Amino acid sequence: MSKTKPSGASHYEILFVVSNRFTEDEAKTCVAKVEKLITESDGKITLNEYWGKKKLAYPIKHEAYGYYQLFEFDLEGKELAKLDEKLRLDHEILRFIIVTKKLKSDEQIKKEAKIKAKIDKKQADKEKEKKSQEVKKEEKKEVKTTKSGKAKTDIESLDEKLEGILNADDLL
Amino acid sequence: MNNNNQNNNVIKKAKECYFCVNNIEPDYKDTRSLRRFINFYQKIIAAGRTGTCAWHQRKLTLAIKRSRKMALLAFTHK
Repeated sequence: MSKTKPSGASHYEILFVVSNRFTEDEAKTCVAKVEKLITESDGKITLNEYWGKKKLAYPIKHEAYGYYQLFEFDLEGKELAKLDEKLRLDHEILRFIIVTKKLKSDEQIKKEAKIKAKIDKKQADKEKEKKSQEVKKEEKKEVKTTKSGKAKTDIESLDEKLEGILNADDLL
Repeated sequence: MNNNNQNNNVIKKAKECYFCVNNIEPDYKDTRSLRRFINFYQKIIAAGRTGTCAWHQRKLTLAIKRSRKMALLAFTHK
């Protein structure tokens, strides 16, 4: 018995589906019930996300839709087992999943920030390269347009000359 | 005829691990990014095909199975 866990809350995440037999308001009362279960056993909810009515990937108990709800909370291990039991016996809830979530330490956050900065830098460099290439292309295009412009001016001047010749009285 | 060689040439291999490159972890709630690692029949694609590293492939399979349980992804196609 040397490896007993130190007492104290750990961080969990729960996602569950409420049956589509109920209306949205009834589903919300069910969500409130689960919330009460957690808070009554000295749990602390840190995140509350209601996904709303979603289509299930496959029918569960002949139902194609369900209401999804996500919680993140701190709870003690003993209380978690009780919560699991209660949710399993609940007919209103089609499916649920409880996952442990590791809270990131300061070092990890720093490391991730570093990696993110690196990735951002790489992407910025790539974009720069793309932009420079585009600029080059545009320059080429401009050169082409100027060339064609020259040709146009040539044609225009020729036209003017022609008109001048045509209008001249010496033709006849 | 050497058909095996021809088949090998057809399969394109991704070189980089999607999760390492983008600095994210496989999450069972994020079905949009999980969807690129399953085929038409909703089967998990081998790591060799997708380029996922061994470390992330292990997390990925777990994430896909979790999202199947929660009916976010299907077990099989219709």
